[in-house]
Amino acid sequence: MMFWVLAAILTAVVTIALLLPLARRVPVVAGGDHDVEVYSDQLSEVDRDSNAGLIDEAEAEYARAEIARRLLRADRRSDAGIEERSGRMRRVAQVGVIVAVPAIAMGAYLTAGSPGLPDQPLASRAAPPSERSGPEMLIAQAEAHLADNPDDGRGWDVLAPIYLRMGRFDDAEMAYANAMRILGPSAERHSGYGETLVAAAGGVISEEARIAFQSARELEPDEPKAAFYLAMALVQEGRNERALQAFEDLAETSPPDAPWMEVVDAQIATLDRERSATGSLTLAPLELPNLAGSQEPSAPSGSSAPSDEAAAIQSMPESERREMIVGMVESLDARLRENPDNADGWMRLMRSYSVLGRDDAANDALTRALEAFPRDSEQGAALLALASELGIDAPAEEAQ
Amino acid sequence: MIVELGHYALIVALATALVQSVVPVIGARRGDLAMMNVAHPAAIASFLLVLLSFGALTYAYVTSDFSVQNVYENSHSLKPLIFKISGVWGNHEGSMVLWILILVFFSALVATFGGNLPATLRANVLAVQAWITSAFLFFVLLTSNPFARIAPAPMEGRDLNPILQDIGLAIHPPLLYLGYVGFSICFSFAIAALMDGRIDAAWARWVRPWTLAAWTFLTAGISMGSYWAYYELGWGGWWFWDPVENASFMPWLAGTALLHSALVMEKREALRIWTVLLAILTFSLSLLGTFLVRSGVLTSVHTFASDPTRGVFILGILVLFIGGALSLFALRAASLKSGGLFQPISREGALVFNNLFLTTATATVLIGTLYPLLLESLTGEKISVGPPFFNLTFGPVMLPLLLAVPFGPLLAWKRGDLIGAAQRLYMAAGLSLLAGLAALYFATGAPVLAALGIALGFFLVFGALTDLALRSGLGKTSLAVSWKRFAGLPRSTLGGALAHLGLGVSVLGIVGVTAFETEQVREMSPGEVTEAGGYTLRFDGMEPAVGPNYTEDVGHFTVLVDGEPLARMDSAKRLYTARRMPTTEAGILTRGVNQLYVSLGDPVETGEAAGSGTIVVRVWWKPMVTLIWYGTIIMAAGGIISLSDRRLRVGAPSRSRRARAAMEPAE
Repeated sequence: MMFWVLAAILTAVVTIALLLPLARRVPVVAGGDHDVEVYSDQLSEVDRDSNAGLIDEAEAEYARAEIARRLLRADRRSDAGIEERSGRMRRVAQVGVIVAVPAIAMGAYLTAGSPGLPDQPLASRAAPPSERSGPEMLIAQAEAHLADNPDDGRGWDVLAPIYLRMGRFDDAEMAYANAMRILGPSAERHSGYGETLVAAAGGVISEEARIAFQSARELEPDEPKAAFYLAMALVQEGRNERALQAFEDLAETSPPDAPWMEVVDAQIATLDRERSATGSLTLAPLELPNLAGSQEPSAPSGSSAPSDEAAAIQSMPESERREMIVGMVESLDARLRENPDNADGWMRLMRSYSVLGRDDAANDALTRALEAFPRDSEQGAALLALASELGIDAPAEEAQ
Repeated sequence: MIVELGHYALIVALATALVQSVVPVIGARRGDLAMMNVAHPAAIASFLLVLLSFGALTYAYVTSDFSVQNVYENSHSLKPLIFKISGVWGNHEGSMVLWILILVFFSALVATFGGNLPATLRANVLAVQAWITSAFLFFVLLTSNPFARIAPAPMEGRDLNPILQDIGLAIHPPLLYLGYVGFSICFSFAIAALMDGRIDAAWARWVRPWTLAAWTFLTAGISMGSYWAYYELGWGGWWFWDPVENASFMPWLAGTALLHSALVMEKREALRIWTVLLAILTFSLSLLGTFLVRSGVLTSVHTFASDPTRGVFILGILVLFIGGALSLFALRAASLKSGGLFQPISREGALVFNNLFLTTATATVLIGTLYPLLLESLTGEKISVGPPFFNLTFGPVMLPLLLAVPFGPLLAWKRGDLIGAAQRLYMAAGLSLLAGLAALYFATGAPVLAALGIALGFFLVFGALTDLALRSGLGKTSLAVSWKRFAGLPRSTLGGALAHLGLGVSVLGIVGVTAFETEQVREMSPGEVTEAGGYTLRFDGMEPAVGPNYTEDVGHFTVLVDGEPLARMDSAKRLYTARRMPTTEAGILTRGVNQLYVSLGDPVETGEAAGSGTIVVRVWWKPMVTLIWYGTIIMAAGGIISLSDRRLRVGAPSRSRRARAAMEPAE
């Protein structure tokens, strides 16, 4: 409210300031006077110079004659002075100012501004209200802690996979390296480090990454993430036979409901079909495990999936990428139609539609989700909160 | 709320600028003084509104309000206060707001101090300023809005580019913009005069103080930028012919030419077409500089963020203003009569000479800057036009100009006497040759060219002093009389001589450091010593340290003379934690006008020296280097003194006369 009052005052003051000259009756000033002043000053300057002996008399005469000619011309012009005028044009200008200034200001501000949003100086936000403490906040705290205690290996250990998931690959690389330096190597750190390199390289498994995965396997032969990437490396090298073997080994050692199984199965299927070696890489069903998984992956290596997929998706052409994402979102939609009792799934679906810019579909998803989870339930509230964050309009109350 | 008010103020500024673009022009056309006068409050209001907006943005930075996207992207809560403030213009959006702030600042200056201008001229000048303001406000609001918000707000910002976290940055862009953007006034004067169809000696007198002010600021800004690059980048150089530097240097060269040609126009009403063209070109080069830096065409420290739509938008502004101005010029130029006649050897002739060489130099820099870009966009081939190109082309163009500088002020208007001027410069020339010989003698093995360069620098200095001595009649009359005459000299004469003297001082510095600099790169272990410029430099070892938002490894050095410690020097390699970006902090010891410059390389990690604290150290001995910047300070001081000349404010019909004119009918 205060804002609108101040904005209105500002607008009014500016508008009035612009109107004042139009309302005043102005005295007449001849137009030529200004030049005359300049030229007479030039004349006196010539006199000064010649008195000081800086120019000789003949030169001074020439200069005086020249300036005098300019003076004459200026004098002639000054007859055509400015007259006081009033009339329609001035009225038009007045109306224009009164209309244009507030209209432009309000119109543009309402489209571009965020009038409701208060200032949020950091000092007044030090203790964030109980609403979600946000991953950024936690990360910032961890970073501040590590800046003071750079030798806290556990801190780096925690932060590294988070960085990786956020796509901050350089930071993840550094965090893994620090964790390994301080706490010593482990299979998990090696394969996490390798995964970071892969993600940073847009899905390509470099020699350095391969060595990291191999080190992980040396420490822990059953490490599924390392096994997976080593198999992928074989695919990338075009050694499909051995890759197929490696994937099958991985499938055998993994529990059947492991989150990476879907990717592995798809790879096996693809390789089985003996497709061309290079074409097969991009066919990995990228986001599926994440979208389909009804729970957060419990195995530590499970976190590998998203960033790897993200990297692979990123390496695809724009149109293909979008098509693939749309396909995945639609399959999720279909599954939720059959089995709507999945709050996480609904949230993912709403988020996906919102990212894709399909607001009506997101709206629809919210309506259907609210049928499964009433507004007053815990999940229902979470759904509504997400909806408001995404800018999805909640359906009217009678939908209940 | 403050942030949103800032946003709103910027939008109201746009509305005001639009009014200022239209109403005064119509008023000037119709001779309606009331409509012309709208320009005055509009210019002041625009300035206050943009100032308010800039203040709001600064407030957001100071309080680390990360709900403002611009703050989130370019600041960090741990940053020292001064860098939170300088961070406001250390990024694309904020620096564009600063650009506009300075633009409207100049408009407000014209509105306030332009009382000596004829009403139509002033109205048109302010309207043209408003056209530029509107275009750039549109640009900021549509493509680079600094007031975009994020909800929910992140808890921590992403920090400012650490290279830009320097006190030099706090002052350098504002000064540079003051010059850059200041030339907009000359542009507006030119356009206004073309619209009015009146371009005469009086116009030149009116435009000159604005040119001078812009020139002074730009000189100081470029100088500051150069010094900043010198000690912050750690490369030991003071000018890199980097496209961004060139972008600021071209308006300076053209502006210098404009300053001189306006002089001719004011005195003799000659060179009218040329002066107007220069006024247009100078600001066009400023716009071009803005385009090059802001569009992301160039990738350098200065290109904070690149975005193609921004590039296209600025290109549009560029085409609109430069194209429009040149078309108007082409339309009107034919109607301009040529002014007073003069002999080739005369003050006018000397100034034409100056203009020819300065514009050629500008063109040289322009080609060197744009050619690689054009080539790359046309053929995809990447070439780099570096110092060799500029040294080969720019140097030879400047040399005759520098030689001629002392002659110019000694020549009479209209018909000069070259031999007479030469005779009066005998003493200056003799003294400078002596200085050159002395350089040859003391710096054994110095190249003859360097000695000649030193002589040239001294020739400029002594030439300027000769000019002043002659004008005050030193040696011809008693000391008291010449002092009185000296004190009575017009300020602009004094300022001109001072600027020429400063140029000489800068030349001395440039020649000195180019010819006599020594550089060594070596691995040093703690306790090891090396010699540079007669000083012994001892490396005392590395030490880690922590700053407010960075960690650093500081290398400690002790400077010894004849075995006695003289001073300690620190040079550091910094790592800014939030962005993981390393920078080098050079250690600099100033002795008189010379400097010892130490910069750290990488620690040696292979071979037997690994782990022993051995590090690669670059040591420069830079004789006379500070003269470069002292010279520019003297030049800027010359500009300020010249600006204080009473005559530049002449033109306002005096109040008493106006009052009398108004009262007479009543009697």
